[in-house]
Amino acid sequence: MVRSDLLELDLASLSEKLRAREVSAIDVTEAYLERIAATEPLINAYITVTADLAREAASAADAEIAAGRWRGPFHGIPVGLKDLCCTRGIVTTGGSKVLANFVPDDDCTVWSRLSEAGAILLGKLNLHEFACGGTSNNPHFGAVRNPYDTARIPGGSSGGSAAAVVARSNLATIGTDTRGSIRQPAALCGCVGLKPTYGRVSRYGVITLSYTLDHVGPITRTVRDAALMLNVIAGHDPNDSTSSRVAVPDYTRFLGGDLKGVRLAVIRDLAEWYEPEIEQSFDESLRIMKSLGAELDEVSIPSFKLGVQVTGLVARPEMLDYHQDWLLRHAHDYSDAVRPLVEGAMVIPATAYIRAQRARAMMIAESSSVLEAHDAIVTPMCMTTAPRIGQELVRAPSGAEVPYLPTFIAFTGPFDCTGQPAISVPSGLSRAGLPIAVQIVGRAFDEGRVLQIAGAFERERGPLPPPTLTEGTAR
Amino acid sequence: MAELTPETVMRVAREFYDYPMNAETAAAVAKIADAMLTDARRLSALGLDGVEPPFSYATMVAEAERLRRTLSGS
Repeated sequence: MVRSDLLELDLASLSEKLRAREVSAIDVTEAYLERIAATEPLINAYITVTADLAREAASAADAEIAAGRWRGPFHGIPVGLKDLCCTRGIVTTGGSKVLANFVPDDDCTVWSRLSEAGAILLGKLNLHEFACGGTSNNPHFGAVRNPYDTARIPGGSSGGSAAAVVARSNLATIGTDTRGSIRQPAALCGCVGLKPTYGRVSRYGVITLSYTLDHVGPITRTVRDAALMLNVIAGHDPNDSTSSRVAVPDYTRFLGGDLKGVRLAVIRDLAEWYEPEIEQSFDESLRIMKSLGAELDEVSIPSFKLGVQVTGLVARPEMLDYHQDWLLRHAHDYSDAVRPLVEGAMVIPATAYIRAQRARAMMIAESSSVLEAHDAIVTPMCMTTAPRIGQELVRAPSGAEVPYLPTFIAFTGPFDCTGQPAISVPSGLSRAGLPIAVQIVGRAFDEGRVLQIAGAFERERGPLPPPTLTEGTAR
Repeated sequence: MAELTPETVMRVAREFYDYPMNAETAAAVAKIADAMLTDARRLSALGLDGVEPPFSYATMVAEAERLRRTLSGS
């Protein structure tokens, strides 16, 4: 098999070939390292490439597989971690200057589990500084670029994690999501991003943005790959007191089949406007789901309309608490964009934070009520396609120039508040050749249903055309 | 509702956090904080009377157990 062909295999297919010894882990690793070298000047998805460690781990994986000790679907599989995930002996920056030389002495749990499963770490991925923003335009490590148009943002904060998967410079990566930071970059880059239920995946060893809103999850090429990754990283962790003891099923068993009898609640009223192409794509996505047998109802969840505000009122005081010592000692090392967001929480009364947490209880109640009569919720993802790097405003259909970031989290933030599992799946390309996505949300700990619906939709819609990795779009 | 002034922001930062802030920064922070306070007031529209904050005793006990294990090295 030609090395470059290895890059086109999804996780499940590559895993079978590794197990059968049709390909070696070292060949796979070298193919990806070559791809990283070729694409990094264009995409800038990585902060650290761990080439030597990857080669060592790949050789060890080949030896174990040859000796009949296959560990499972991740044995010999290349992965990447958002550089918010601590890795023992490997610098972990959080995308910041504050931690530019921080070398943890322990692994985060997600990497412990992937490593134990035999995964090969290719490197640590670029992100928005301290995960506190949605562009991944990082002032310390450079802007991450969207593989479908390198003049545009990949979204964020897990921008490097999504861009690497789409640019084929990694196969499966880890992102984190506090207001939408797994799903939004996955949507803008054209891959799959799964935010599991709060507590489903351990946060241990992941640099905190918000104690009660942070989620850790997979960013992958396909829904099946996301299910495979969740199989490895999900489960109780005594090092995370918020991690759940709910049993972890084999998530791949939910894949396959149609959507006959599946009842979907459609929410589209959380944004004041959409680009017309986004609305058309969403309608087409609903048509596909209906053609697969789903029953659709339009619903509204009133408290969700303040979801963006609630996430801000919860996340910023929690961020200040986590960052306070760093801020007092290294204020000058924060960017001018992120520092005021942390500082702003200094003058917010505790009652505002408590009220926002109470609002979350209301949001969960209203969402649960909708899900008594429905199996899942379907929403659009972002209101526009990826904006240009450095662009701060977009033109709404009314002609007004408005900031785009609040609109990008209008449909994601509420589900960080409720902690429900939510996935972003590509729904097509715009006429300009930029990815558009749809979001599917389930009941708490019902990732299986979310993956079932997303998998059926993905299979029916088919894969997106590959990205151009050039400035400007091909269309 | 009165807006936060940069002077108030500077004073709170200095006296509560021992954190020096210049007037330009304080003006930017005041705008951000004002927006957050407006957001907090808007939450009243949700009718939160009788809704308790979801701070969980079970989570506190689990965190205490994690700390105990860390301290005892087990």
